[in-house]
Order: sequence, then structure tokens, then C-alpha cells
Amino acid sequence: MRFQPTELTEGERALQREVREFLAAELPRGSYVPGLGMQAGRDRAFSRRLAERGWVGMALPRRYGGGDRTAVERFVVVEELLRWGAPVGHHWVADRQTGPVINRFGTETQKQRFLPPICRGELAFSIGMSEPNSGSDLASVQARATRTGGGWLLNGTKIWTSGAHVNDWFIVLCRTSDEADRHEGLSQLLVDLRSEGMQVNPIPFLDGTEHFNEVVLHDVFVPDDLVLGGVGMGWAQNTSELAHERGGPDRWLSTYVVVEQFLREHAGEPLGPRAEELLGEAVARWWGLRQLSLSVARQIDRGEAPSAESALVKEMGTRFEQDVLAAVQRLVDLEPSPDTESLFEGLLVRSVLTAPSFTIRGGTNEVLRSVAARGLDR
Amino acid sequence: MTDALLVELADQVLGATCTHEAIQAAERDGWAPGVWARAAEAGLHRVALEEGGTLADALAVLRAAGRHAAPIPLAETGLLAGWLLAGAGLPVGDGPLTVVPGRPGDRLALSGDRLAGVAHRVPWARSAGRVVALVASDGGWLVAAAPAESISLERRVNLAGEPRDTVRFDGPVEVAAAAPGVDPEALRHRGALTRVVLMAGALERMSRMTVGYTSERVQFGRPVARFQAVQRHLVDGAQDAVLVGMAADAAVRAAEGGQARFEIAAAKLLANQAAFTATRAAHQAHGAMGMTREYPLHHLSRRLWAWRSEYGDEAFWSARLGAAVARAGADRLYPAIAGGSSVVDV
Repeated sequence: MRFQPTELTEGERALQREVREFLAAELPRGSYVPGLGMQAGRDRAFSRRLAERGWVGMALPRRYGGGDRTAVERFVVVEELLRWGAPVGHHWVADRQTGPVINRFGTETQKQRFLPPICRGELAFSIGMSEPNSGSDLASVQARATRTGGGWLLNGTKIWTSGAHVNDWFIVLCRTSDEADRHEGLSQLLVDLRSEGMQVNPIPFLDGTEHFNEVVLHDVFVPDDLVLGGVGMGWAQNTSELAHERGGPDRWLSTYVVVEQFLREHAGEPLGPRAEELLGEAVARWWGLRQLSLSVARQIDRGEAPSAESALVKEMGTRFEQDVLAAVQRLVDLEPSPDTESLFEGLLVRSVLTAPSFTIRGGTNEVLRSVAARGLDR
Repeated sequence: MTDALLVELADQVLGATCTHEAIQAAERDGWAPGVWARAAEAGLHRVALEEGGTLADALAVLRAAGRHAAPIPLAETGLLAGWLLAGAGLPVGDGPLTVVPGRPGDRLALSGDRLAGVAHRVPWARSAGRVVALVASDGGWLVAAAPAESISLERRVNLAGEPRDTVRFDGPVEVAAAAPGVDPEALRHRGALTRVVLMAGALERMSRMTVGYTSERVQFGRPVARFQAVQRHLVDGAQDAVLVGMAADAAVRAAEGGQARFEIAAAKLLANQAAFTATRAAHQAHGAMGMTREYPLHHLSRRLWAWRSEYGDEAFWSARLGAAVARAGADRLYPAIAGGSSVVDV
């Protein structure tokens, strides 16, 4: 396992300043309720404005509307958006993983059809991996597509599908044939969330919100040209897609706004030694995690595939997101109330009620440890 | 960029000399003349002092010393005492040197060219040609270098059995004004940086040792590294090693640029925390084997525990860092995380 130290170039720092100025102007403090990292609100207009600046799909090729920018440049933009608590929910999944996966594995027609609207911040994607009986063990998915004239008939149930009720498309991992090796015979299909035969049932989340869904697919027709990459290539493509989900700033910034708001509300008064020590510890760890995470982005730009490294960082970062939240709670004498009018308390309540998901979503920490452990003898 | 050949040389020399037996003997005898002689012959003790030798090079060599648990005062000789002497225009010489780290309870007073007083936890004072200290004066900080004839000492050791002597000064010393900006605060930061780098080396080696041991140790018919419960320890140890390794790299880079107080504070804090978590993981994965002095894990784990409390423990650095960030305020919190010393001075 190798992490090369790196720092931002002059050009990357200029981009950082540009994003900071944009956010200060477009989303001044006090004009919005900050989101908790990637769980932030959906705002189509905001996504479009970001896209106009070239900050959605920025690492995708220019000929499809992208910016031909690097993974590190995307890192710079994303870390600023997340720490600001900006409403990135609408374009988040498409920008982070669906766009790159279509770009890598999709046909020319698929790229021309999907990438430009992704880069314009218009097209929103959900993730169609988990099923009621397939969580960490994704090779056991039971959703199945069978041949029909000109395409496939898709049946099955996907679950924990964030945003399926409002998003446009999702990529469904499903079985297209039975093979001796269960990692074969899987495919990824691009499916319109408004297709006929689709039923989206909301599942109330722990914090009372309804972004979680069960998606039931009944004889949903998927034409041949919406099979992503090749038939039977689903496992390899899906694994690659997961690697895009891991190791970025979204895996260690989910509770950052809580700490910043704590500090803001205590401005001008002494914090006391206990709070200062905890703040020092948190800042040191954010600083260290950021260096690791940035190093992963550089590796991607060198054309490497840092999957074990990403898993290692995500496992560490998501635990820290929970630890720092617990530390803040121990500092304040407060009975957190969901009907509070205080911004700090509101952020605290939402964080507490969603924090257990940090170490589950995008690969449980148990799975991540196995992935990371396999990379340790390298 | 550091000199890769130099690091290779350091790994070669220290790997060959810092054998399990040599480190054990050093602890028993309080000095490792053979290790010192080979390291000095290769010039490892004065990398930063030579023409063309950079601070980053010297710290890269020190990281190798951490990997090999080298039982010699490499940090003290070149990077700390040698730095103070050279900055003050005093001769550095070629033998082992040490420095007074500055503990509560130290009392030093100069009267003319005579130094009197007591200093605690002085590394390898018993073997050093001269003990170098910062001493206050009306005109600013002075560097004093005491030869062996001007001191008496009580032998003390740290958790790893490395000499940390109590030194009583009573005799003539060489004295000169410290270089501009050199004061106990600067020494503390530089001392902390040496410990961060040593700890990064030790953590790296400890992680490798643990992965190696668990892939060979067979129980229930398979290497214990195949058990998920054991993999958790391997990952914990590797996370600490890469986190502190990266923090050390960033702190060294910042130190080369001249502004590194934030980075050193954060890196020492992370290293100190790892001294608890990584050693716990490594020992648990090693089982009873790691509890013996016959197996080399303790050369690393005991050093990590010892270095953790040198030049600032985690309470010290978290308070310093936290207070600095709190002073800077909420709007500069993230810029500090991303920009370090260029945004917040600690």
C-alpha cells in the first residue's frame, strides 16, 4: 500500500479560491441551512449554476460536455462544496460515479446521450445495487433480465435506493445469465426511473426524511442499447464503480458543519480547555485524512487503481465522522430537540439521527477492511 | 524531494547493524558503539550539517532510524544539538552530541562561562561528547555546550530502555548567542518533528512486521491473517502507519518551507494517538509472542510509547492546536485544515 505525499499546485489553489468566492457570493452564510456532506439537499438550480462554472462532470471529456479536468481538481471543488454544506444532492451521484462509469464502459451512443446532460447538472441518478437479500454480498443479486425482442425484461426489487422518487435514471445490477462462477452472468442496465412497470415505494429514514426507497421492477423493458458496457461485464464494472465511491472528501466531511457551527456560535467567548483539546484533535485528524484522500486522487490521475487505499481511507474517515460527532455531543449540555430553531442544534439532531449510516453506505466498514487487508502485502 | 540513495544507504547501514541482538545489547549496556561507529562512518549523524544536505534528507534518514529502532542519538546529534551549535557559530565536531529537551523542573543558570543547574530526560547524556542547552540571558537565548568534565549524571532510561539521563551542570562551557528565532519554543517544535519522523518509521515497520507475522502464524489450519477479526487489527495498524507517515511527510515539507508549526503540532498529535492504537493492534495480533523480549516487536512498541511523551504529549499539542484554531474562528476553520501554517500559526 502506497500513499505518496502531494500538495496542491498553484493552479489548483487558484481553483480553490475561485470556488470559495463562488460559494461566498452564491450561498452566503445565513442564507441557507447547510447540508451534511453528500446528504445535502437537492437544488436543480444550484446544480445548474455549478455546471455553468464547469464544476459538474468536470473530470469527464470535453467532447461530452465535461471539463477534461483531473481527479485532484474535482477533489478541490468537492471538498469546498461539502464543507460549505452546499446543496449538492441533485447531481452528486451522477458526478461522482455514474458519469465516470458511463465514460469508462459505455458505448459511444450512451456517452453522447447521458454525459452532456450530466455535465449540465440536469440528469440525476440513483444507485441500483442493493436488494432485500443482497447487501454487502452483491454477487447474490436476484434482479434478473431476460431476453425479449430488441432488449431485456427486467424483474426484481432494489432497496435503499436514495432519491429514486425524484431522480431520472439508475444503473441496475442484475443477473442476465446463470454461470458456474456467480461473479459472471451479471450486467448493468441503464434504467429510466419513469419506465412502465416500475413502482417506487418510500421507506422512512431514521431521521424521518423520505429519500430512501424500495424500487420494484415488473417486466420493465430495457432496450439493448441501454446495457452498460458488455452483457456479462456487470461485476467488474460494478466493482470499478464502487471504487469511485470511496476515499473522497465525502467520506470524512459529513459532520464537519456541526463543528464549524459550534465554533461559530461560541465566537468571542473562551471555549474552555476541554473543547479546545477536542477541537485540536479533530483538526489534526481532518488535516491528516485530507492528505491521504488527496493522495488517492493523485494516484487516480496517474492512472493507478487505488482500490485498497480508497477502502482504507473511507473506513478511517467514516469512523472519524461519527467520533467527532460524539465528541461534540459530550461538550454541550443539551437535550437535542428536532423542533429546535437553533442552527447548531438542528445540525446536531440531523447528524445524530443519520450518523450510523456513514459506516454502512457505499460499502460497510467490515467489507472495506477486507478490501484494505488484501492490499496490505503490496 | 529527498535523496533516495541516502535513504537506501541509511536502511542498509542501520538494517545491518541494528539487529535484534545489537538493540538488546544497547539497552543492557546503555550504548551501542558498533552501531554508532557504522552510522557515523556513513555520515548519517550530520546529514543536515553537510553542504548540500537538506533538512528533509536528515529527517528521511531519521525515519529509517525509526524503522530500525536504531539505539543511537541521531536526532540529537545532527538535527538538534548540531543545529543549535551551528546556528550559534560554535564547532559541531564529529562525535555524538545531545541536547537538553527542556522539562519542567530543569534549572539552568550561566555565570560567566560557568553553567550550573540540573536538566532532566537528556538522551544519551552519558555517551555524548557535549551536552547542549538553551540558556536564558538578559540579551536573549544563549547556546551552551558542556563537555563531559563539566557535568555529573544520574543514569535514567525511558520505556524503551533508551538513556534519558538527569544531568547536573557545574563547570565551564562554550557559550554563544543562539541564531535568530531559536528559542525553547523553536527547539520544542524541532524536537517534536524528530519524534514524529521516528514514530512514522516505527509505525511503518510495526505494520509490516504484524502483516508478516500473521501471514505465517497458523492456527485452526490457516494463517491467522485470514481471519476477519485479525484483519481488523492489521487494518488499524496500517491506517495509523499511513496517516502518521503522510503527516510526517507534510510536516517535513512545511519545515523545509520554514513555516511548520501547525503541521508539526497536528502530526505529533496524530503520532501520539497512534502510539496507543497501533501498538494495541500490533500486540493483539501477535498474541503472546509479542509479549516477549525475544521477539522484536517490543523494540518498536516500547519506543512508540516513550516517544509519545517526548516534546509534547497529545494533551499538550491538542490544547495548543485547538486554542490556535479557536482564536482563528469558524470562517478560517476549513482553510486551516486545508492550508495549515499558511492560515493559522500554532
